Amino acid sequence: MSKENIVEVQNVSKTYKKRRQKEFVQAVNNISFDVKKGEILGLLGPNGAGKTSTIKMICGLLIPDEGTILINGRDNQKNRLETLRDISAVLEGNRNLYWRLTVRENLEYFAGNRGMDKKGVAQTIDELLVQFRLRDKENELVNRLSRGMQQKLAIAVAMMADSQVLLLDEPTLGLDVETGYEVRELLKEIVNNQERTIIISSHDMAVVEDLCDRVIIINHGRIVTDDHVDNLLRLFAVRSYTITLGQLLSDQQLQLIKKAFPHLEYIPDTTQAIIKVDFDQDHEIYDLFELLKMNKTPVESIEQGTINFEQVFMRIIKGEEAHALV
Amino acid sequence: MRWFSLLRVNLQKEYIELVRYLPNTIATVFTFYIIFLGMFLGIQVVGDPSTQELNTQYVIVNNLFWFLTMSTINKVGWQVTNESMRGTLEQLSMSPMGIWRIMTARLIASTVINFIILIVLLYLSMFTTGQWLNIDLLSILPILLITLVSMYGLGFIIAGISMVLKQVDAFLQILQFILAGLAFVPVTVAPIISYFPFVKGLDLVRSVMIHGVTLSQISVTDYGILIGNAIIYFVLGIAFFMFCERIAMKRGLLAHY
Ligand SMILES: Nc1ncnc2c1ncn2[C@@H]1O[C@H](COP(=O)(O)OP(=O)(O)OP(=O)(O)O)[C@@H](O)[C@H]1O
Ligand SMILES: [Mg+2]
Repeated sequence: MSKENIVEVQNVSKTYKKRRQKEFVQAVNNISFDVKKGEILGLLGPNGAGKTSTIKMICGLLIPDEGTILINGRDNQKNRLETLRDISAVLEGNRNLYWRLTVRENLEYFAGNRGMDKKGVAQTIDELLVQFRLRDKENELVNRLSRGMQQKLAIAVAMMADSQVLLLDEPTLGLDVETGYEVRELLKEIVNNQERTIIISSHDMAVVEDLCDRVIIINHGRIVTDDHVDNLLRLFAVRSYTITLGQLLSDQQLQLIKKAFPHLEYIPDTTQAIIKVDFDQDHEIYDLFELLKMNKTPVESIEQGTINFEQVFMRIIKGEEAHALV
Repeated sequence: MRWFSLLRVNLQKEYIELVRYLPNTIATVFTFYIIFLGMFLGIQVVGDPSTQELNTQYVIVNNLFWFLTMSTINKVGWQVTNESMRGTLEQLSMSPMGIWRIMTARLIASTVINFIILIVLLYLSMFTTGQWLNIDLLSILPILLITLVSMYGLGFIIAGISMVLKQVDAFLQILQFILAGLAFVPVTVAPIISYFPFVKGLDLVRSVMIHGVTLSQISVTDYGILIGNAIIYFVLGIAFFMFCERIAMKRGLLAHY
């Protein structure tokens, strides 16, 4: 494998057995991907897609049923403790802190438990407190902090390990808009100033759009898409059109057009009408014009739709475009 | 050096919690003191007057040992349960030190800090009853240290079970009584319990504190059982704990939030 790859996930599957029931849940189904040094990778997927399970397997917290995960070329099952040196993570939620300890005490406690000595850690802690704007809260008990501050502290705890790979599971989950923005800005700072490899799972498209170079979309435990964020946006933007017509379509015309483009959206106004449509293939736009021309419908304007990441995501998940991309 | 870091931060955490939550600490001392008083009064009322003093002395030592087992073995069970719900157990499991080392450091830290309470309880009990025991540290400490090793072994077994079992609360409640049983039932009643973790040690500590026995007076067999007990339970405990850790990692049980 390429020397640059710091994380290699190879044919990994995981099925959970539900407690007391004879039911099984396949959380991850034969997933493979590599992450390059310094890359910022987004893991995106709806609820229950298998993001957290994937992250936990990379962190060595969950043993895969099949497949291997290499960290810096080393199997994270066979060399668990050694590979953990290169990994740190903030897992789901912001509760993975000691609520009865202060901000600073939490940082010290986790550092010590990683085997880091006090002197070396003190300066790092000071820097992190400044960077995370928690300096004035350093002696505050964690249970008195706001959710956003707790989340920032959890990220700081993970940063302190100074590992090469940082995994963040839903870093903005449950935060209000403002705090979510603050955490996002903080992550942006981290992304821009550091050489770390970061894997972020999120529902929050803004997080992925803002921070990630590359995105893997997971659905039902499978990888649906693995591409650069820019590519995905471009690909989908090109295919999305808004066409304004100079007159309304007759029922007959509409039927004809709908037959060729079942997902087309027709929005009639008083004298005008708007058509919104996505094309799977480039030639389809010509097919549509062909149909419109046949019926002598005047086309007043054609706009290439702007599309944000959320729309890209929804479309991929709906599976409409999946076959065209993979 | 890295072991030292583990020990340092865990001692620090135990100490901070002891002092910061002083009302809790005092409540714990008080609870064990009240239980002790209850037993002491029981002996006064219904006990045989000829063995009253001796019985009281037994109760002092047994109660202290019960406290010691509760504050290490039972506590580690509760900690694992709580931390798996909080998510901190997962965070600790990602330490390159390995969770069993962290657990060992915690158990040690827990005993060291709880010794403060233990000494308070001891003197409180002795003062209340007027029964001054033989505090021969030179004899008590070596026995106690070896006994603690077997206690930690049991602590690991409980920690492992707590990690894997879901309805662990009921189990830990029952464990309190099992520990009390082991601490209070005399070895003479059921010699077999000498082979249970920490029971032999407790018996020897009683011999020192109550009967004034010194290290040189203890038989080789007794030492054998004491040390064998410590080694076997500690190794068994860690092996069992690691086995449970693997099960937990296979089933995704390190966190159930
Ligand atoms: N410990 C577990 N035991 C049983 N089933 C589990 C366990 N953990 C996760 N699952 C199931 O596995 C599937 C994938 O879960 P996972 O948490 O990996 O998804 P996710 O993408 O992180 O979802 P979310 O967005 O809700 O966090 C879900 O159906 C979930 O219910
Ligand atoms: Mg998740």
